[in-house]
Amino acid sequence: MNGYNIVLRSVLRILLVIIVFILISCYPGEPLSPEDSDIIATFYNPEADFSTKMTYAVPDSIIRLDKDGNPIGKPGQFDQQIISRIKQNLDQMGYTEEQNPANADILVVASITTTTWTSGGCYSWWYDWWYPYPGWCYPVSYTFKTGTLLMTMADRQNQGSSDALWVAGINGILEDTNIGITTRLNNNIDQAFNQSLYLGTGK
Amino acid sequence: MTIKKIFYLLSLFAIYSLFSLNQGYAQQMYTVGTYQISLPLGDTKEYTGNTSFRGIGFDFRYSVKKATTVGLSLGWNVFYERIRKTSEIKTEHPGSITGTQDRFLNAFPIMANVHYYFGEKRGIRPYIGLNAGGYYMLQRFEIGIISLKEDRWDWGIAPEAGIVFPVDEGYAIIINGKYNYAFSGMSPLGTDIKHSYLGINVGFVWVR
Repeated sequence: MNGYNIVLRSVLRILLVIIVFILISCYPGEPLSPEDSDIIATFYNPEADFSTKMTYAVPDSIIRLDKDGNPIGKPGQFDQQIISRIKQNLDQMGYTEEQNPANADILVVASITTTTWTSGGCYSWWYDWWYPYPGWCYPVSYTFKTGTLLMTMADRQNQGSSDALWVAGINGILEDTNIGITTRLNNNIDQAFNQSLYLGTGK
Repeated sequence: MTIKKIFYLLSLFAIYSLFSLNQGYAQQMYTVGTYQISLPLGDTKEYTGNTSFRGIGFDFRYSVKKATTVGLSLGWNVFYERIRKTSEIKTEHPGSITGTQDRFLNAFPIMANVHYYFGEKRGIRPYIGLNAGGYYMLQRFEIGIISLKEDRWDWGIAPEAGIVFPVDEGYAIIINGKYNYAFSGMSPLGTDIKHSYLGINVGFVWVR
């Protein structure tokens, strides 16, 4: 084997090693920014006729849920912003707000998880906490991270043991409130309604 | 004819060719190493739309006649796409989910092949070939803390055309295009898909 061949063979081997190294070291999957990490999940009750329930009431505070889904009365910095944005979206979808919850067709309740929590089952004991608020059942089992904003739409006429009409979860958004949280909250609440066009007169 | 039959026939042909060589013909082995760029097509483009610049392949070709080789082809092609979109959930409890999705596809083609070469020995040699076998597909779909995966074997074929440029005694440069097509498949989201992609490959040939 002459010198040229030895050099050529060495170069080819080195190139091969470099290609394999590039393949392994450049395996994709960059870290996500806080905005990119936001997940908005919405579920609805397929039996619901949304077009017949056009008046709503929203509690003037947001409850925190413990690990069992029980309410904790602890106000937060962004509660009023969240409530206001929910109302704004409902209004845009053609709903009318009722000042007296007893006259509303639907109740839209916002809550925030304080730990990882899996939805599912019925929650009726909130009756004592906010009148008239007998509770509802979650139509789907889904695990939400700490700091998840939940928006639940329940039929006021048919509560306690029936499925909620609509549940939206913005996963973990209030866990880290440092970076652009105000904009992210608004955008993600809007997205929850935008991806649920069956609400209001849509279905 | 199913792809399994094509694969078996191609394998049988390769084995037969190796053991029934023309006694007057000097058998040679060609080892081919290529860097591969892959353009997703069809269902693969829907799943991961980005061109893959992460790919490598090895061919082991045995000459069985003056202008014909049979052999084995191995490869690894990595596809990846990050997109933010809304996906509909069509289950008992319907809804939608919006988030940043990371979609991965690692395709490992393992195929028997046959190639026919035009031109003269030691000259520039265009060639055509057919690879038949299958793909081991590793697929992952991630959205937030949710990760779905689907790992499976799918039968497929890969017609190929290329050119070999001789460099020196025992070495050559090779450029080829390979249309990879799997006859079956399923995405991590549970939808039926058939992966396909066009590989543009460049590399070296060692002759022994």
